[in-house]
Amino acid sequence: MIRSSKTWQAVAFTAVAGLALTACGTTDTDGGGGDAGGEDCNFKIGAMGALSGANASIVIPSVDGAELAIKQWDNDECEVTLERFDTEGDPAKATPVATQIAGDDTFIGVLGGAFSGETRATKTIYQDGGVPMISQSATATDLTQEDPVEVFHRLVPYDDYQGAAIAKYLTDEVGASKVFVVDNSEAYGEPLADRVEETLGDAMVQRDKTQVGQTDFAPTISKMESAEPDAIFYGGYIAEAAPLLKQIRDAGIKAPFVGGDGLYGADFGNAVGDAGEGAVVMCPCAPIEEDSTFAADFEEEFGNAPGAYAAEGYDAMTVFLKGLEDGARTREDMLAFVNDYTGEGLSKEIAFDDAGDVPAENVSYWAYKNEGGTLTPEVEVKPEG
Amino acid sequence: MDFDALISGLDRHTLDGITRGSIYALVALGYTMVYGVMKLINFAHSEVFMVGTWTVLGVYTVLGATSGMGVGAVIGATVLALLAAMLASAGTALAVERIAYRPLRKKGAPPLIFLITGIGCSLVLVETFGQVLKAFFGPPFGRVTVNVPSVIETKVVFTIPGLDLPVTNTRLLIIIGAIVMMVALDTFVNKSRLGRGVRAVAQDPDTASLMGVNQERVIMLVFVLGGAMAGVAALLFTVQYDITKFDIGFIIGIKAFTAAVLGGIGNLRGALVGGLLLGVVEVYASQIWDSSWTDVTAFIVLVLVLMFRPTGLLGESLGKARA
Repeated sequence: MIRSSKTWQAVAFTAVAGLALTACGTTDTDGGGGDAGGEDCNFKIGAMGALSGANASIVIPSVDGAELAIKQWDNDECEVTLERFDTEGDPAKATPVATQIAGDDTFIGVLGGAFSGETRATKTIYQDGGVPMISQSATATDLTQEDPVEVFHRLVPYDDYQGAAIAKYLTDEVGASKVFVVDNSEAYGEPLADRVEETLGDAMVQRDKTQVGQTDFAPTISKMESAEPDAIFYGGYIAEAAPLLKQIRDAGIKAPFVGGDGLYGADFGNAVGDAGEGAVVMCPCAPIEEDSTFAADFEEEFGNAPGAYAAEGYDAMTVFLKGLEDGARTREDMLAFVNDYTGEGLSKEIAFDDAGDVPAENVSYWAYKNEGGTLTPEVEVKPEG
Repeated sequence: MDFDALISGLDRHTLDGITRGSIYALVALGYTMVYGVMKLINFAHSEVFMVGTWTVLGVYTVLGATSGMGVGAVIGATVLALLAAMLASAGTALAVERIAYRPLRKKGAPPLIFLITGIGCSLVLVETFGQVLKAFFGPPFGRVTVNVPSVIETKVVFTIPGLDLPVTNTRLLIIIGAIVMMVALDTFVNKSRLGRGVRAVAQDPDTASLMGVNQERVIMLVFVLGGAMAGVAALLFTVQYDITKFDIGFIIGIKAFTAAVLGGIGNLRGALVGGLLLGVVEVYASQIWDSSWTDVTAFIVLVLVLMFRPTGLLGESLGKARA
């Protein structure tokens, strides 16, 4: 078993290395063609993310946001098209997409990856091709903090900030001193809950773990009953949060329930029903005011209100478009422009530090309260200060 | 490791475990009966359960049922949902048999082929709810968790004296419902004429045919009975957990199959013992460590049991399952 998996890894590695080399080769030979394309300023931006499947609802609005930015762009000189690549959020499907984009010089930038896994798998391919990336929603800490590449930028704060912001909300806004922390034992929930625990310190009363796919939470409930928490934090996704929260309320535990951005989405209210009334979801996404011109334009264009990360998608595209206005006609110029960019965006004040992150002082989280099945913005929380 | 938490609340955790295990046991019946008669693991059985949960949701939606209704209406809606779920699950099980197994049996396909068509059926059913129905009808179908109205409001009905252990109406319904269905099925198989046919085919299909037992009819009966039990499990599941999902059957199917093996696959009473034991072990493990340890502990127990009793706790055969 072990041997065969090693062989498999070796094969996969060789394949990826081969593709990467091909990508470099293509970039080199097509270099002249890219310059020619620059003169008439016809460029493409690739959008890479889960455009179908279970998680599409947290990606499509951001790509639509980017599309809207192009539509609203007032420029006669350049022709920019957004090309959508569906990866289903799967790193294995994202790799060939990245190779294709990196190998085609008409692509001057990439919106994405939307998720951390696919971004981790493709950022070196883009780095080799020199393609500037701006992600609207990939939040894994390691992408910029442990293993940064020059081409990668993102408009959302990374996961470490989120844990701090949630802990701050629990102590400052909820006023909790006995928080019960639960996570789903996997790559998103566990580190997030660790960070919440770390920041809470003595304000945490007990920690418990659940499993992905679990439906019966009786053991966790009985622990809660003896711990008597004054607030509950859950690090995980909607599929488990819904039955967990129902069983908490069925057991008569009334402590406020707070979740991370894994619960952010219209599906949360539908899945949890009445038991979810008043539950709070934290998200690094600033609310879009319903009467703003962006919301109205978005609705007119796509027939629905702007959803998750729509403003971030719009902002990312705006950075690229400003780059073209500024005269960037090659990937190299575009990368230099993005690195130094500063400006007011829809979602936040945009700037990128050396690692590609928006500086901490520009970042904020929002607490959304579930009221009658919809998440309504409650309060802004700054993770630092 | 927190043994104190386990010991101090042992009664409570046992009750939690029995509730969880009752549902495993009911689903396990489907695996065990089909195995007993055909020596086949019906991998599509988890989806038979899933169809049942969706049927409950459908009935509640059509009736507009909520917990605010009167007692009579609540009982009426629940009974209606139960019958519909049993019917839908039994129908699905029968359809799986007709489509995935019977044509192969007629052609004398080797046993492995049945496994792969079973898995195929399972995937088709999952995607029917995850993709196909969504394309036609939109929500609530799709790949998201769906809220099933909680028609029976959870209430404490009595407290076990001496233990100070409150018992809720939903738990009581699940445990009593599971045991009643088990006893009814066991009696049917052991006492009735049709049940005798089932046992005969399980013991020796060829001789049973010679004695005039219609094997095809017995196989259909076994799928229908197993499906109906999964339908009961589906109702009890939604009563307790109030959710469904396109792949809700996956984990429960694996656990129920484990329960069947633990108790002795092919053995009806084994399914009950295996299911309850698995539920209790899982809840105990969640108390000593946490819920991420449930599977590790449950499967260690399974391996240990099988080392000493390779045919499961109560032995294997459906035909011989008479105490």
